[in-house]
Amino acid sequence: MADYRQMWTDLGMDLEKHDILCQVLPDAFGSVYLSQENRPEGMDYFNFVVAEIHGVRPSELIAHQQKGGKVFGTFCVYVPDEVIFAAGAIATGLCGGSQFWVPGGEKVLPANTCPLIKASVGARLDGTCPFFKIADMYIGETTCDGKKKAWEILNEHVPVHVMDLPQMKRAKDIKAWEDEIKILIQRVEEQCGTKITAASLAENIKLINGKRQALARLYNTRKNSPVPISGKDVLLITQIAFYDDPARFTEQVNALCDELDARIAKSEGVIPADAPRILITGTPMAIPNWKLHHVLESSGAAVVVEELCTGTRYFENPVDESKTTIDEQIKALAERYMKINCACFTPNTGRIDDILRLVKEYKVDGVVDCNLQFCGTYSTESYLVDRALKEAGIPVLHIETDYSDQDFEQLRTRVQAFLEMLEK
Amino acid sequence: MTGKIYNYYILFPNHNEGLRAHKALKTAGIKCTIAPTPREASTSCGISLLLAGDCLEQAQKIILARGITTLGIAKIEKKTNPGFKSC
Repeated sequence: MADYRQMWTDLGMDLEKHDILCQVLPDAFGSVYLSQENRPEGMDYFNFVVAEIHGVRPSELIAHQQKGGKVFGTFCVYVPDEVIFAAGAIATGLCGGSQFWVPGGEKVLPANTCPLIKASVGARLDGTCPFFKIADMYIGETTCDGKKKAWEILNEHVPVHVMDLPQMKRAKDIKAWEDEIKILIQRVEEQCGTKITAASLAENIKLINGKRQALARLYNTRKNSPVPISGKDVLLITQIAFYDDPARFTEQVNALCDELDARIAKSEGVIPADAPRILITGTPMAIPNWKLHHVLESSGAAVVVEELCTGTRYFENPVDESKTTIDEQIKALAERYMKINCACFTPNTGRIDDILRLVKEYKVDGVVDCNLQFCGTYSTESYLVDRALKEAGIPVLHIETDYSDQDFEQLRTRVQAFLEMLEK
Repeated sequence: MTGKIYNYYILFPNHNEGLRAHKALKTAGIKCTIAPTPREASTSCGISLLLAGDCLEQAQKIILARGITTLGIAKIEKKTNPGFKSC
């Protein structure tokens, strides 16, 4: 129960406003997470991270800066963290998953902007997120129009380096992404006053691959029936992956997986084996957006996999570790990151292939395709996703929602009707 | 009989003491959960240890024996149907 008020004051945060968030977090976390029965003991570490979310990690980032290190805030799974860590800097996620930050964003953005962008901008402008205040530079990308305009606003406060993500996946587009990574390297080197070498990049490719492997191991445990861990717990872990120290995070996830392996050996689960198994696909769920998982799992379903940026898109496909020169490593990074299937690409059939593959791998009974309001690319792509799933005989429910509680009961009604339809 | 169930939150001056207590209680086989400190317990944020009442006495003995500093214990009624609250 440390008192971080001095640190927040030094960062120039609005303490009074921030306190409103501190006030509601324990109850929100309690209602969604601590109300679960038979949670794995290894979740205690992740409870700790949430309890200290604006305290411990921000303190570590500030300590890093006091030793001359830099901190880069990132928004998207296309940004190669390997480059940032290879320069001796730290990459961290920023705030953007709460309704609390949305009104601050609406002061400068149209109301019909997606809640993720509004919350991110609001968190910065309202001074209620330490990560936004700490970061020396933000790394943006061109995954949607709303973000592209948001960078211009944020750039008035903190330098924003924007990576120009190609929107197609031809060979020349992968090459273009390789060039963007080279430009990022230059910018990060300038900011840090250090040189990224083949050795430092190799070390950090391995570090981030370690995190990916731990997450893949965690997700694989959910292929079992009954599932040894709830979907909402895995969502929380994935959300924390964007903020935590990568080595510590990997160690904690692997320790949890040891516990889950023991549960699997005893056929011990947290949700009955006959519960409908659900795949969620769609837009990212930034912390503390736990709404859809809570609706589903409190209605009797088991969320067994997420085809989301806060899901498989984040960790599938490791970077090739065999490359020894910096040019080869950059190419390997570009190839890996361009395998992520985001709706900003055209065509984006790889995402549909991924969903159909995951349905089989995780023995999914039904898919919930959920996008945040005003996300044009994902809501448009839902037509193709829904059609492909129906053709494959897989029940699908499309949901559009935001961060507020207002539609919670309406969502529950729709989800319950969908689950009844799936009943075996 | 009121029928009310209570949770007990052990409060700490910093997270290091909280993590020491968590480790000590887990080693002793006492069921406890790291939780964000409820606002009813303190106006400061950060971790607390959540316990059921039947473990409390033993937990207090262990914490005392290990010389772990606490800021006391908060008794808070357990919400039987917490519903959904976003933040």
